[in-house]
Amino acid sequence: MSLVALLIVALGGALLTYVLGKVSHRVRDSFAVFISLVLVVMVACFYGKTIEKAFYFGFFGLPLVLRINMLSWFFALAITSLSTLSIIFSLSYMKDRERTNFYYLMMLIVNAAMLGIVFSGDLVSFFIFWEIMSWSTFLLISYNRGPALAAGMKYIIMSIIGSITMLIGILSFYARYETLNISEISTLIASAPSGYILFILVVFGIAFGIKNAVMPLHTWLPDSYAEAPSPFTAVLSGMLTRMGIYGFLLIMYVIVGAACTLNLGPGILKFNYILAWLGAITIVIPTFIAMLQNDAKQLLAWHGIGQGGYMILGIAFGTSLGLAGGIFHTLNHAIYIVLLFMSVGAVQYRTNGERDLNSLGGLIKKMPIAFIGGLLGISGLIGMPLTNGFVSKWLIYKTLIVEGYPFLAFAALIGTWGTILSVYKFLHNMFLGQLPEKYRDIQKSPLSMQLPMIVLSLAIVLFGILPGIPLKVINSIGTSFGFERLNVTLWGITSETGTLNTINIFSAVLVAGVIVWIIFRLGAKSVPVPQEDSYAAGAHTPADKYHYTAEFYNPLYRMIKPFLRDVIDEFYYWIAASVQRLCGSVRRIYTGDVGYYVMYIILFLAFLIFVQLKWKPW
Amino acid sequence: MVIKVMQIILSPVLALAVGVFFLGLARKIMARIHWRYGPPLIQPVIDMIRLFYQKGVSHGRMFDLGIILSLAGSIVVVLFLPFGGIAPLSSSGGLLVILYIMLLAPLGLALSGGQGANPNISIGISRKLILSLGYEVPFLLVLLAVMTHYKTISITEVVNAQQRVGWAIISFPLFLSGLSYFLILPAILGFRPFDVSSAPQEISSGPMVEYGGKYLALATIEHAFALFISIALFVNLFLGGAANPVILFVKMLVVFVLGLCVNAVFPRFRIEQAIKYLWKWPTLLAFLGLIMTLVIRS
Repeated sequence: MSLVALLIVALGGALLTYVLGKVSHRVRDSFAVFISLVLVVMVACFYGKTIEKAFYFGFFGLPLVLRINMLSWFFALAITSLSTLSIIFSLSYMKDRERTNFYYLMMLIVNAAMLGIVFSGDLVSFFIFWEIMSWSTFLLISYNRGPALAAGMKYIIMSIIGSITMLIGILSFYARYETLNISEISTLIASAPSGYILFILVVFGIAFGIKNAVMPLHTWLPDSYAEAPSPFTAVLSGMLTRMGIYGFLLIMYVIVGAACTLNLGPGILKFNYILAWLGAITIVIPTFIAMLQNDAKQLLAWHGIGQGGYMILGIAFGTSLGLAGGIFHTLNHAIYIVLLFMSVGAVQYRTNGERDLNSLGGLIKKMPIAFIGGLLGISGLIGMPLTNGFVSKWLIYKTLIVEGYPFLAFAALIGTWGTILSVYKFLHNMFLGQLPEKYRDIQKSPLSMQLPMIVLSLAIVLFGILPGIPLKVINSIGTSFGFERLNVTLWGITSETGTLNTINIFSAVLVAGVIVWIIFRLGAKSVPVPQEDSYAAGAHTPADKYHYTAEFYNPLYRMIKPFLRDVIDEFYYWIAASVQRLCGSVRRIYTGDVGYYVMYIILFLAFLIFVQLKWKPW
Repeated sequence: MVIKVMQIILSPVLALAVGVFFLGLARKIMARIHWRYGPPLIQPVIDMIRLFYQKGVSHGRMFDLGIILSLAGSIVVVLFLPFGGIAPLSSSGGLLVILYIMLLAPLGLALSGGQGANPNISIGISRKLILSLGYEVPFLLVLLAVMTHYKTISITEVVNAQQRVGWAIISFPLFLSGLSYFLILPAILGFRPFDVSSAPQEISSGPMVEYGGKYLALATIEHAFALFISIALFVNLFLGGAANPVILFVKMLVVFVLGLCVNAVFPRFRIEQAIKYLWKWPTLLAFLGLIMTLVIRS
């Protein structure tokens, strides 16, 4: 089995799904699930293999190369598994919508394009797949029309800017080395001057920074996440945005190489140190902006930006612990954010697309699986011990502290504590508190929504208790970049400056939990009461949603809101408006009316004649 | 092995005893400062036993599970803290794990209370979370200063280093951090003037309002553990830990009574005032401490 076959299955399957959709929706649905499952199996079969093979020479004489190694395998498996789950989730979510054939086609094409990106062995195919991904993402973001069109437009404009800077980088490679094969460039670039390397890192960094929404290039993300259909938002936040992380790994550690990247620049102005600080800023500011959001998906979207900061911080810091933490966090983030968007999607599906946190509430008894998904998702997002997010964050914190960068560690830690506030509001306002009257007869989520949520919930706990499973793979990625091997066991990491043992934590929590539960059972039996039967100190508790949950952190809002304007977004809008004004004034001249153009020609001729008569230059 | 199991069983029991004693002592000392006689020292124990056999109301499964999770989380933190030479699990992840498991208790209470669907609970939880963001800023700076100074994330290493070279609170850059921790201690414990989240006269004890019977008993036990944890952490980080549980207890007692006397005379802050205070002096001290630590290290 070759990589070409894999990509043909991915792309061909997408087209075939579209054709089948014209025949029958039922057949199309099962085929879409089937083809994505086949891709998971096919990718899994490549485990541990290292292949690099040119398959086509026709592109201006440049060979197009496909290759696989541990890094691409890791990303490919995550991509295929998560898109399978989100396609299963789509089955009921998209059921009664229009243009569903188009939706499935685009979902599968995005999937195929991402596989193409991670399997590309040269920068031409990388760029082609990158563009396929960007454009099909644009179509999916604008799927709902209305405000989604504006969100999609914002995304594609920023994406194009990124693509152009990346193209500049690729062209400069070609001009310098006359090859675009990644492994060839990586050997040739070793002798390049540091100014050139910095240029390469910056142009590619802008492209990948836009995709990964690193501050100040993040502004496309919140609107796009909020407006895209929820199952696609899951893919977008889980893997598609993280193609930026793949890109950073590719340019920093595969092409340029660790030794070169980590010694670029003087003292504290090193390239990777500045990038780490950008990561830290990306953690802190969006986390606090997330607290102000009242839209469930916007809130998660801001966390998507913030968590991307942890990955950048870990990768840019460039120790073996930091790198492992950054890559592991990419996987963990994908798992829990997909789960969270599915949880929101499940609620939206039953409540007519409601995602305003101020008007939901009390759904825990109606949609228990969605609640459990939400709870485990936010635990992963916070990084609670025994969930996957904890291990990756622990790796990042530990390396920052031990290497003596406490302010970076502080940014990372305070980001976590800010996260608690907003995700508690997220969970509370959707599932806890009062159940509004209009949702009294709501149904629980259908099986095709519950299944992916259960799988992802289990994955969060599994990787939290046995982090060694993915860390083994990540460890070999790290060593392939030339980093020191970590001492990974199945349940943690051992080292002299601090050991992590998740199985001990797990046993302690389990035993303590069981003991407390037994004590709880021994006490006098409690009486279950309905939600209206609560003590309000003699005051009346309103029967419908009470007012206080609407502005959950009001005292804090009043204090921090003036400091949390998205100035960067406003600046971009100002640029856009200025360009528009400029073009508007140009339009006064280029009116499109022939009469004006005749007048311009006559005026110009008159001017020439005047010049000739006066000074006789010709 | 047997000794280790004994330690694991013994340390939460001892911690609970200390915590409950402190609860009783707090009421007694407060009463004396207010020129009252006050309840007997074992009043919290009497209350707990009585409550345990009284009927309570339940608002659903999360309401029950949250309180169990909260108490279990506190017990686990105790296992990670060095307890005067005993530290059953402290080698499994160090200070960072302690920091994170300390989250289980408030989060469990918040989830449990969340299902209570009572406006007072929502107000209380909202205030508690805002307040915790307030004190976490200086708290994290303090912990980072300690970890950077001793170049480790293991709390037993911090204690051992202090046994060798002297207490952190009297060493130069760290006394700033220690002072900052002492200033935010009442906020961590939810004592006056920082009792905004449980304010009994204002929002009927906030998150506790729906608890009765065994729920209230378990919540009180959890409070006792929380009391033990934050003071024991202070003693371990800044007062050189202790060689045996008795010395630890004496040191904790001194810190507790000192803190209580300072704070018993203040009226309650509003939540904004609390945040403003926490983000001003303690943060400034902690920040200076961290910068000094960095300067001295490099």
